[in-house]
Parts: sequence; C-alpha cells; structure tokens
Amino acid sequence: MSLLRMFLVQTKMHFLWYFRRDGEMMFWTLAMPVFFLVLFSFAFSDGGQSRSSAFLVPGIIGAQVLSSGFWGVGVMLATFREKHLLRRVYITPMPPWIFFGSLVVYRMALLAAQAVILVAAGALLFHVRITGNPLEILAILLLGTATFVSLGTIIGALARTTESANNVASILTVPLAFLSDAYVPIDRFPHAVSSTLRLLPSTQFIDTFRDVAIGGASLAHYGAWIGLLALWAVAGTVISARTFRWV
Amino acid sequence: MDQAIVVEQLVKRYGDFAAVDGITFAVPRGTIFGLLGRNGAGKTTTLECCIGLGKPTSGSVRVLGLDPTRPRDLARLRPRIGVQLQATSLPEKANVREVLELYAAYYGIAPRAAEMAERVGLDDKLDRQIAQMSGGEQQRLALALALQHDPDVLFLDEPTAGMDAFGRRILWSEVERLRDAGKTIVLTTHYIEEAERLSDRICVIQRGAIVAEAAPAELVARYGGDATVTIAADGFAPGDALAGLGTWTKAGAQWKLATRGEPGLALAAVVTEANALGAKITSLDMHRPTLEDAFIAITGETIGEAE
Repeated sequence: MSLLRMFLVQTKMHFLWYFRRDGEMMFWTLAMPVFFLVLFSFAFSDGGQSRSSAFLVPGIIGAQVLSSGFWGVGVMLATFREKHLLRRVYITPMPPWIFFGSLVVYRMALLAAQAVILVAAGALLFHVRITGNPLEILAILLLGTATFVSLGTIIGALARTTESANNVASILTVPLAFLSDAYVPIDRFPHAVSSTLRLLPSTQFIDTFRDVAIGGASLAHYGAWIGLLALWAVAGTVISARTFRWV
Repeated sequence: MDQAIVVEQLVKRYGDFAAVDGITFAVPRGTIFGLLGRNGAGKTTTLECCIGLGKPTSGSVRVLGLDPTRPRDLARLRPRIGVQLQATSLPEKANVREVLELYAAYYGIAPRAAEMAERVGLDDKLDRQIAQMSGGEQQRLALALALQHDPDVLFLDEPTAGMDAFGRRILWSEVERLRDAGKTIVLTTHYIEEAERLSDRICVIQRGAIVAEAAPAELVARYGGDATVTIAADGFAPGDALAGLGTWTKAGAQWKLATRGEPGLALAAVVTEANALGAKITSLDMHRPTLEDAFIAITGETIGEAE
C-alpha cells in the first residue's frame, strides 16, 4: 500500500516537474515527432507520399523509444546525480527500484502519448493505417522499451557528468535514427551496408515493430531478433545494476 | 543503550588524502553534538559515513545500534533518521507542497505540508517553486524535509550556511525544541556562535582529526586562557593592592591584567585604584575568554570565512 502510494506520487511528480512545467520539453516530446513526420513524408515521397508516411510513422515511434531510453532515462539519471538529487533520495526509505521504475513508467506514458499523436497524424494527413495485432504491437514496443531503457541506464550509470552523458546519448541517438531504418530505408544503401546495419538492436527493433504494425507480419516470424533484443535488455540491466552509483 | 551514535577510529580516504583520519566520539541520546571546524576539516565526510552516504575506509560507525555500511541495517535506520544535507538540491520546478507530499510518501506517513511549512516559516510559500526561492528558503525547506517524519536522530550539515538572520533564528529555535522533545542531533558548523548556543558537547575537528572535545563552557575554561583587564591612565601603576589579582604586563601606555578570577570584580578594583591615585583613565577594556579564543588556542588558526 505505502509502496504503491510512493510509486504513484513519485510518477506524478516526475510528470509535473519534468514535463508539465517544462514547455520546451512538451514541445520536443509532442510536436517535434509530428514535424518530422510531415517534413520527411514530403522529402522522401518519391515512392508515393502515403508509402513513405507508412514507413515513417513506426520509424519515428521507434526512434522515440531509443531516445526515451538514452535521454529520458540515461541522461536524466546522470543529471539527477550531478544535481545531488540522487543522494538526497538515497537516504530516505524509498527503495531504489521505485525511483527508477517510476521514471520508466513516466517515460512510457509519454511514449504512449507520442505514439497516439503520430498514429493519428499519420491517419489524418497521410492515410496511414495501423493494421497489426494490437497485442503484438504492444509486446514489441514493451520489449524495445526494456532494451533501450536498460542500455540508456548504462549511460546514466557510467557518465560522470550530465555533459558527458549528453554527449554519449547524442553520439548514439542521432546516427542510429538514420542508420536503423527509422527515418530512411536502409535498403537504399549497398547490400553489404544494410545487412551490417541489421545487426544493430535498434534496426532489429524498428524493423520488427514496423512489419508487425503495418506490414501485417506476425511476431512469431521474428523469434531470433526478439531473442537478441531480450539478450541486450538482460545484458544492459545486469551492467547497469552493477555499475550504478547513487552518490 | 544510552549512546545514540558511536564512532570509533573512523578513517575515510580518497586516494592518498585522508579526509577523516581516525575519529572517535559518542553521542548520548537526547543531546546535541556539534562538530566544529573549518571548511574541509572532515565534518561532512564524518556525517556522511553516519548516514550511509560514505563507506568508511576503516573504523566503525553505529547509529541507534545499527551499522550504516550493512544494507539491512541501513534500511532499518533510514526511517529513524532525518538529514539536512549541505550538498543537495531540489527539483527546480517542484513547489514546497509537492516536495513535502513526495517525502511524506517516501516515509509512508500522511503529508503535513501546511504544518511543516509553518514550522520553518514558509507557510505563505506553499505553492512557490524551488527556482523562485532564495538559498535560505531552500535550506529551511530542507530542514522541514528532515523533520516531517519525526525522526529519532537528526543530522544537520551546515544547516544555516547561507541563511539570513530570520532563517537562523527559526533553525535554532527548532533545534532547541527538538532537544526538549528528546531527539539526538548531530550538527556540523563553522559558526562558533551556533556551535556554542546549540551544542551540549562540541568536538573541534582539524584536518580530519579531533583536537578537542568538551561542553562549550568547559572548552572555554580549559583553552580560552585568562580574562583580561586593560587600562591606560596617566600616573597609574598597579600597586600592592592589585598585584594579587593576577599577572600585570605593560605595553606602551597600557597596563594589562591577566586574571583567572572574575574579571568584573578585577575591573572594579582597578578603576577604584586609578581613582585613588588620581590617574586620568584614557582607555579601559575588559575581555572574558570566548569559545573563539579557545578555538584559536586549540587549532592555532581562526575559523574564518576564508576557505
């Protein structure tokens, strides 16, 4: 009971303090993905606008999952440490998993809002239809979130300062968004390049998600990639748990 | 068990540097223990080792019989201690009411935001965001967070640093009220007046080691030196009547008496003698030894604001 209350109050405060009262954050979270969708839909519309939009809607959602993990959790934790917030909560009876878990749940709520907005914008502006099985879509999104939150937490664990966490997250997020089939189809690259890029967990996650969401594919056909994503998630969790410093 | 805190041979090293170098002390329940020293003397490091924020390199710490280096003990200790940290900050966009509500949830108690805000003089600022508050106001909120769950032991690290006179008065009266309620308090400070006013015992720390420990009055009596009476008066010289009061020395036109006795009585005798001699007094001064005198005698340096 008191743990549940702790969790709910902490989640509410994350939302109020870092989202609701931060106009810049609200803009980046809610409006920017739609701008990207519109911009890239026109920029890459050689195969027909609705086809490129259908590629982009799941691609941008997938890129947001990545940046939620790297920025929303990883950099955020480094910031909390640098501002001495972590040491203050460390000396209270709150179990560490409550603080971490509520941060993840808060980011997942934002992701859900982003996904709804992007799907609605895709449907209204470009007639993109999400045809996949909702449970399978939810399952792959949850797995991807687990993978990239756990990898992002490694950044939060190892970075000594907010600045270095920021740098690492930028170096990862920006290129990955372009190399993981999120904004640009990697089929356009030479075969050797695209098949190498398919070894990235980010590519595997985004491709699986896209194929399930709009390609009518079943998750059952992606067993190997799902297994690999789960392995990344486990490895990331183990490394984070071993290296994370509260103080 | 009547000792709330027992620290034995505590050492904390960072590389080659020993921030704390073999500190031993005990704090009886229901008393206020002041750690007095310059910035960087090792006060904060000592305190952090008591609350599980620092792991001692060697030595032992027990708080309420629990060992903060053992996770299970630390979990049992946390609800029973309250801490006001020096190096802490609260989320900029949080307001006073929300922070108190969140911390109430951490401790599993009903929020007492209005009551706590009033206790620390923030009752008209419940909806004020941290970013809009002065450093002193944030310190007072930090105190409220340390007190809200009614802990048995309080750790206050430089609690009035950066506070104005109003905040200092609030904190001091709060600490005195907590002592009356039987709480144990460990306080670090580099304000001599604060240590003297609040502490039952003061521990003077210098370069990671304890150099003196006693009740404030005892420190002054033991290390503060003699009281002095200084007089400059034409035609004055201490005669037989004054010789027994203490030791007289002359510097320029001034005669200086160092006495172990009551300096007020000595002063009266000196003035009476000067008048009897018909000497015209041009300056007259009395000085009772203070804790600051004792501090300087003990450490060989002033406590100063300078880092």
